[in-house]
Amino acid sequence: MGTNQTAAIKDVSLSDNALKVAQRIGSLRDFLDFLAEHGQCITWPEAVLPEPDIRDIAVAAGRDAMNGPALLFDDIKGYPGKRLALGVHGSFTNLALLLGHPKGTTIKELFYDIISRWGSDKPLLERVPMDQAPIHENRIDSNFNLYDLLPLYRINEYDGGFYIGKANVVSRDPHDPDNFGKQNVGIYRIQPQGKDIFTLLSVPAHDMGRMIIAAEKDDKPLKIAVMLGNHPAMAMFAATPIGYDESEFAYASQMMGSPLRLTDSGNGMDILADSEIVIEAELIHGSRQYEGPFGEFPGSYSGVRMAPQFKVTGISHRDNPIFENIYIGKGWTEHDTLIGLNTSAPIYAKLKEDFPEVEAVNALYQHGLTGIISVKNRFSGFAKSVAMRALGTPHGLMYLKNLIMVDDDVDPFDLNQVMWALSTRTRADDIIVVPNMPMIIIDPAAEVPGKGHRLIIDATSFMPPDKVGADAQIVSPPGGPKIDALAKVIQALQQEQQGGQS
Amino acid sequence: MNSCPRCQSEQSACRVEHEGRDAQGELVWTVYYCTACSFTWRDSEPEESIVYAKRDAFSRVDLNKQYPVVMPPPNRD
Ligand SMILES: [Zn+2]
Repeated sequence: MGTNQTAAIKDVSLSDNALKVAQRIGSLRDFLDFLAEHGQCITWPEAVLPEPDIRDIAVAAGRDAMNGPALLFDDIKGYPGKRLALGVHGSFTNLALLLGHPKGTTIKELFYDIISRWGSDKPLLERVPMDQAPIHENRIDSNFNLYDLLPLYRINEYDGGFYIGKANVVSRDPHDPDNFGKQNVGIYRIQPQGKDIFTLLSVPAHDMGRMIIAAEKDDKPLKIAVMLGNHPAMAMFAATPIGYDESEFAYASQMMGSPLRLTDSGNGMDILADSEIVIEAELIHGSRQYEGPFGEFPGSYSGVRMAPQFKVTGISHRDNPIFENIYIGKGWTEHDTLIGLNTSAPIYAKLKEDFPEVEAVNALYQHGLTGIISVKNRFSGFAKSVAMRALGTPHGLMYLKNLIMVDDDVDPFDLNQVMWALSTRTRADDIIVVPNMPMIIIDPAAEVPGKGHRLIIDATSFMPPDKVGADAQIVSPPGGPKIDALAKVIQALQQEQQGGQS
Repeated sequence: MNSCPRCQSEQSACRVEHEGRDAQGELVWTVYYCTACSFTWRDSEPEESIVYAKRDAFSRVDLNKQYPVVMPPPNRD
């Protein structure tokens, strides 16, 4: 690695360990090895049937949101030699390891780490010629069969097909296909619809939706590259809302502090040189086909719709590729862990612009359908004003449905503390219902799809001119970094004892 | 396999997409695709997913019903 690159990495101001990890992990394979060294990736020891075994095991592993391992399947009945990885971002410990932290790191620490990584504008992108890129080790130009290429399976029992749920899809503005800046990388659900056709679900507001509308209106081709088994920073950071003209590759490399190697796909997109599989495809103009149902992140099935179709035009893959997928459904799932912190951090940043009193934002629950915000209370009712502002942030606009406001002495990531605040500081008339607000269409609690009510619960302390009940003086237990460190010592002693017993 | 487990279209509408075999070449399962309702299934799945009568009513597709169209394509007539 050249000296310029090292200097650029230092600008992100990461810890030595974070830099060490960032430089070691260049691909999904590297990360799975790294996780396995820390006991966070297990290879399933028995042969499994695609259904129902894979979803059963994925759900069981997902129960431990803090410490659940990634799963590697290499013995799937009917798919000899094929490999499938699940739960790669399935626990906060896996995210902690990726960001250079030890096991035992708290969610709140990870939250502040992500915040601290913002501000770097030095993309760390390298270019690899196609003939040297691992992704192009194998090339398929005809006779495609997605059901043969990938070990596909039904994620939830009533899904309409065998979904690909963790693809990073690269596309370029059909009116400006040579502009790297107008290249978009997003995560969209993909349903194979035959050997070489798939539907891709987007809405008009998303980059892909805009591109599909533009391509069909002006009869321009829309080419895409579906990347599977990617550098773990892509899934982690590429879904974070950023401006239309910024490159997700650049953003992910900045946040991770490690260079991402790019190469060309066979159809002229920029793709990751070290990904496992890329499926190149083109929009079939005017075609809509049955898509869904699909068990979505609110834990309910989104219904059948007629969605745009794409036709496969080429496939490249590494030797012995790993198909990475995700379990999505009724929480807690990998999807919740994967997007939770990156949902929380931008809301925090936006609020902080107007209210420096905001301490932390926990929007981990179902993509922020419920959020908990801790704020230094200035006067009676102050937290409600902060909550109203949160509803106007870009993510809050559609997603923040239930908001719980707590004081700055409550860690919003510690639900025991949040319940304490709810139990002792909330009055039944201290809530606000904001009726008939915008809402995501797949929220089952909507009044009509796309519209519903919001709830703000003020669980902050009473401040003048509030009346206060009897015996309201709060105990001030010791807190801060000293107690955080002691909690870790206790955890380590427990682990030591456990290790001694086994 | 006599018909689609989701829309009950006849066998002629159901296409074989892939046969999964073990390392010795023995057939383990077959993947089908219904060209009428786009349902994909594997004949080794639990019956709740692949037997029409056992599927929850919400999960069936009625081909006579109009389903919402995502971003309707421009009308070129
Ligand atoms: Zn059917």
